[in-house]
Amino acid sequence: MLRIDSLAKRYGDVVALDNCSFEVDRGRMLGFLGPNGAGKTTAMRAVFGLVKPDAGTVTWNGTEIDDEARRRFGYMPEQRGLYPRMKVADQVAYMGRLHGMYKTEAQQAANSWLDRLGLEDRKDSTLESLSHGNQQRVQLAVALVHDPELLVLDEPFSGLDPIATETMAEILTEEAAAGKAVVFSSHQLDVVEDLCEDVAIINAGSVVVEGIVKKLKDAAPIRHIEIELDEGAEELLSDLDGIRRVTQKGNVHTAIVDAGTDVRVLLQKAHQTGAVRHFTYTTPSLTDLFREAVR
Amino acid sequence: MRSMSLIGLVAAREIGERGRSKPYLITSSLTALLVIALIVLPGLFEDETDTFRIGSVGEGNSAIIETAEVLGNSGDEEGAAPTLEMEEVGFSSRQEGESALSEGDVTVVLVDGVEMIIEREGGFFGGGGGPTALLQQAAGAIALEQVIAESGESAEAVIDIISSESLDVTPLVEAEGDTGEASVVAYFGLILLYMAIILYGTWILTGVTEEKSNRVVEVMISAIRPWQLLAGKIVGIGFLALVQFVGTIVIALVTIRLFASFDIPDIPPGSLFNLAVWFVLGFLLYAVLFGAAGSLVGRLEDAQSAAMPMTIFSVIGFFAGFAVLDDPDGIVARISTFFPFTAPFTVPIRVSLQAIPLWEYAVSVVITAATIYLAVRAAGRIYAGGILRSGSRTKIRDAWRSAEG
Repeated sequence: MLRIDSLAKRYGDVVALDNCSFEVDRGRMLGFLGPNGAGKTTAMRAVFGLVKPDAGTVTWNGTEIDDEARRRFGYMPEQRGLYPRMKVADQVAYMGRLHGMYKTEAQQAANSWLDRLGLEDRKDSTLESLSHGNQQRVQLAVALVHDPELLVLDEPFSGLDPIATETMAEILTEEAAAGKAVVFSSHQLDVVEDLCEDVAIINAGSVVVEGIVKKLKDAAPIRHIEIELDEGAEELLSDLDGIRRVTQKGNVHTAIVDAGTDVRVLLQKAHQTGAVRHFTYTTPSLTDLFREAVR
Repeated sequence: MRSMSLIGLVAAREIGERGRSKPYLITSSLTALLVIALIVLPGLFEDETDTFRIGSVGEGNSAIIETAEVLGNSGDEEGAAPTLEMEEVGFSSRQEGESALSEGDVTVVLVDGVEMIIEREGGFFGGGGGPTALLQQAAGAIALEQVIAESGESAEAVIDIISSESLDVTPLVEAEGDTGEASVVAYFGLILLYMAIILYGTWILTGVTEEKSNRVVEVMISAIRPWQLLAGKIVGIGFLALVQFVGTIVIALVTIRLFASFDIPDIPPGSLFNLAVWFVLGFLLYAVLFGAAGSLVGRLEDAQSAAMPMTIFSVIGFFAGFAVLDDPDGIVARISTFFPFTAPFTVPIRVSLQAIPLWEYAVSVVITAATIYLAVRAAGRIYAGGILRSGSRTKIRDAWRSAEG
């Protein structure tokens, strides 16, 4: 289990981490969310000793992380980077060897990951000759090649097309199912919602929400309403008690309301106003939770 | 053990990738070609005969021109083609001769065996160069011959007196072995050492900066320690440098043996060993610092300016080397021996010239080795701090603070 405990880090006057804590168990996948500059990258870099925290600890299975433990971690940094003129397969195998694999073992693992990622005919190409998306796949192969116990991925979905996003999601799900601890940061909340049972939301250096997504949603003090009427939805919603926020797209109005709000009253009034074309009342989406958490 | 194998992996990658890269293969073959050309080409031109046209007005010039030709070829091997020919071109008047000279038809004009007209006085090439010096010598020799003939002494006796060294020379310190050969080794050793340190140090510098600007370093440092990465780089590039360095020297020696008209001086093996020791010491010291400098900048354009202190030290060492060649016991020699950044340049020279007491040599090695140790520690920390910081230029102090020792 990866445990980040009360991490603090300042750069001059800028507070990057402030009492930041969260955990990822083996076999689980944690979506690590937060607005830009909230401290996601700093926290992830601290796992690899790339950032020396001013206070707090990072432990793996209860012990402080040393070189040996770190060799069983896989990392995809936010700023991608590999050797541009090195051949793809050589590069992945080299990274495997740096993580303690034997030569043939590393070459086999590199080959099978590149096959899995659809790069079978680019193994002998130099990295710089690959498209952006393919370079990203190689970067993922580098993080995975040594079969790590912990995967830390900083924005793995950024810049991927829908197909590549799907492949990435599939692989991460498999890895977690195979008993790895997986943590990744993302701004694509819909992807995180589909993929992760666990989330942690960081704001201004501290984790403000952490837990199982479903429980968080149930326990949230807000609910999500979508309603489509021919007319009059606006007045209807603005009269409602406990309304927090309303947005409109065409005739569809989306509202965030207090959890205690009596929706039956709303629905009755809507029937009186006209035909109800669409009505949903749900727990908040991850996006709603995120907005509430970082407000 | 684990560290060693990681350093070995990094070094092996460096050797495999860089050793197969076009820049390495091109610089290696260009250097080899250049060395071969420098040795072979002068030999090709040596056999050609220079022909000078000498203007002649009046009588008494032919004897001078013939004697000058003999003097000019006196150093040639027997049976070889003459290096120099002088062709007499007669003119009926002084004016005719002068106009031919100013048109460049002849090199000089002799008048009545007593006067020489040249195109212009002074200047870099004016005065004694080319055939004029030979003609002066020839005229002098002819005059001397006449004096000798009149005095009744035999010509051989007089020439013997002139050409011998009349004073006995007694050195206070007698050299062991051949100092001429020792200085040749010292001289070329100095130049090679300087070139090697600058050239291969720059490889380390740009290699480190490249890793930083490619951002590959973040993945690397998540797996291995910064000092292991730096050490692997230095070992790998150092190996390639050594291969190129030794390869060039071997090619030079072989080419000299096969083609050149001069012989290889007998290089004392002690000198070579000493040169190798200081190549390693000097390369290590500078390589470590070049590596630290490279870690402080984010772009290749800034790398050279970050390395400025090292460049300045090595230039100082290079010029100190020349001062030491001139005066291997002097004040420059002594000071530079105890200064670690100049010692790799000057100590090998003093050793070659046998002008260094054992204790000075020992202290110098100790100081340099200690400095390398400190530099590895300090540079390792600066490297660790600098390599992960973004921005075009990181201050040494910030890099130092953000890393552990």
